[in-house]
Amino acid sequence: MTLLDFARGIGLQIAMLVLIVGLCWRFSAILLLRQRPQLALSRASLLGQIAGGAAMIFSRSVPRRSFRRRIGISILLSTIFHVGLFTIIFGGAPHILVIHQLIGLSWTNLPKGVVVIISGLTLAAMIAMLIRRIVHPVMRLLSTADDYLTWLFVFLPVVTGILLSGETIAGYETLLALHILSVEMMMIWLPFGKLMHGVLVIASRGTMGFNFARKGAAT
Amino acid sequence: MVESETLGETLQRRGFSRRSLLKFAIAMTSSLALPPSVAPLMAANLARARRRSVIWLSFQECTGCLETLLRSSSPTIDALIFDFISLDYQEALMAAAGTAAERTLREAVAANKGEYLLAIDGSIPTKDGGVYSLTGGRSNHDMLMEFAADAKAVLAIGTCAAYGGIPKAFPNPTGAVGVEDLVTDKPIVNIPGCPPVPEVLSGVLVHFISFGKLPDLDDRKRPLAYFGTTIHDQCYRRPFYDQGKFAKSFDDEGARQGWCLFELGCKGPITHNACASLKWNGGTSFPIESGHGCIGCSEPDFWDKGSFYTSLAGGSATGWRNAGLAAAVGIASGAAAALSSKLRAEPAKPRPENKP
Amino acid sequence: MTDLASLADDGLVDALLMEVAAMLGRLVDKGETASIDLRGLPLSFSCIANLEQRLGRGEILVQLDAAGRSELRETAFPGVWWTQHCDEAGRVIAMLIEVNTIPDILRADPIDMAASLRRLAGVTHHAAFRQASHA
Repeated sequence: MTLLDFARGIGLQIAMLVLIVGLCWRFSAILLLRQRPQLALSRASLLGQIAGGAAMIFSRSVPRRSFRRRIGISILLSTIFHVGLFTIIFGGAPHILVIHQLIGLSWTNLPKGVVVIISGLTLAAMIAMLIRRIVHPVMRLLSTADDYLTWLFVFLPVVTGILLSGETIAGYETLLALHILSVEMMMIWLPFGKLMHGVLVIASRGTMGFNFARKGAAT
Repeated sequence: MVESETLGETLQRRGFSRRSLLKFAIAMTSSLALPPSVAPLMAANLARARRRSVIWLSFQECTGCLETLLRSSSPTIDALIFDFISLDYQEALMAAAGTAAERTLREAVAANKGEYLLAIDGSIPTKDGGVYSLTGGRSNHDMLMEFAADAKAVLAIGTCAAYGGIPKAFPNPTGAVGVEDLVTDKPIVNIPGCPPVPEVLSGVLVHFISFGKLPDLDDRKRPLAYFGTTIHDQCYRRPFYDQGKFAKSFDDEGARQGWCLFELGCKGPITHNACASLKWNGGTSFPIESGHGCIGCSEPDFWDKGSFYTSLAGGSATGWRNAGLAAAVGIASGAAAALSSKLRAEPAKPRPENKP
Repeated sequence: MTDLASLADDGLVDALLMEVAAMLGRLVDKGETASIDLRGLPLSFSCIANLEQRLGRGEILVQLDAAGRSELRETAFPGVWWTQHCDEAGRVIAMLIEVNTIPDILRADPIDMAASLRRLAGVTHHAAFRQASHA
């Protein structure tokens, strides 16, 4: 069995199973947590609460005016990274192919050149973010192994993907195996670290917005 | 070994000029990916070459490898060279059978001890004492070990002989293995493919006869000249791959335009072989040119790499049953976590004070 | 084939023509001969046809019958030859661009010439014998 056979076979199955176990564990644990009963009357209708939830999902992506100067760079880098990563995943032909093989849906891909440029920007943003995390004293103080590991498990797929699409440094088979394995490592890590924010952010912002609207607070 | 006439003398006797031999050498240098300037040297060496014995043993095989080699040879010089190398023993081709054939085999081995090339096609079953493939009551395993011992080198022809091939595919009921798993003390050349490209065998033999040594091999013991690049790197549809133009199904517009077959499962990027340039049937076509993706037939265990139609970008996903089990485990552990959190958070009820 | 594919073809053909020009330069300056093995390159049919068309046809066409038919044609550029060798079944076994004053295969081999001298000696010996017996 070659490394690629493992990555496309048993490795993929293990990663998917661990991901499913982890996601189900996290979601059910959160949803089954005892909720404190809300005794006060709601300040908004149900529709209003839902609207508040939806609004907060987007409003939290834009920093408050008073903070913008101080964290502007951080927000910029983060936006470039996130938008770039989503564009690569959902616009790159090989990834659309993976999704198509999994669930049958597919759509037109972006031209390869466009994805290459965006990949470069994404990679640069990631490296810049890491440097900031190490150099900035507060960020350094706050950062834990979780933060660095999460960065690494996302960085590896991006960098191996770039090498694979350029078919450079190593043979195609090796690069493809490394890329798939790095994605599998990310899948295994996802439910257990900070990377889970990718799945929870919508739910957590939405929940907060729902409750804020209930209390009549701004969303 | 009995002294015999040179190949040049044989050709001359049969009415072939040195010019014909040079033409053959030009074709061979092209096939072996040697520079065209080597052709005159090869022709001169071939002319001086003396007879080499080749003993061919067929094991657990479908005879496809032998058929492809027979069909391939051009009627003249190639065939002559095969004659010249004197295929001393090959069960499907030789006239003798039974004990006469066995005697021929023993005589050939005795006459050429230490100098003959042993060509093997088919895998070797090892389970249950190798009883699944016998010749004259003898197991393939025993025959291989006996005749490899006195051979100069072993040629494993076809993926079955090289790596186990289709008999080795899961669950491998006969315990089939390739030659290299059993023979460890002789030079081995693997010529994989299902079937292999016939020019590869010609090329290896001609190289051996011309230069007295086997051609350079890669880490899987395959001749670098033929297996040094992947199908992907030699494929004429590569510009479509680079442009992102893929056929999505076997009869769509992309397929009709001859676009890349990556999304239809082509294993070209991970398969090393010469068929993208040498092609089959004397340069007629090869699978991709005929509209079907490469199945990777010259790589080990290609039968067990999942569907031929699942692209390299995908793999074998976990089944619904296992996914359901995993979800159940996750939900159960989540529920347990929530319950333990609830129990820990429950404040103890204050004891009622005893008031007098 | 689509326009983009033929653009890719043109690029390959241009690169090959530049290599041929360099080889011809070395032939003119230093007398060095060289060949390009076209079957060793990933060329599509249209690419090969394109290349053949660009090189054109010259003044010499040679048909060689030696273990199958071969055709050697001088292109529109003297010194540059388009060579195709086929076996007796008519299958193409080699395709080359040769840069040489005349392809080496057209020259008679010394061994073949020695053999023909022997055969000719036999022929002339018989001719002399017949002449002598008629005299």
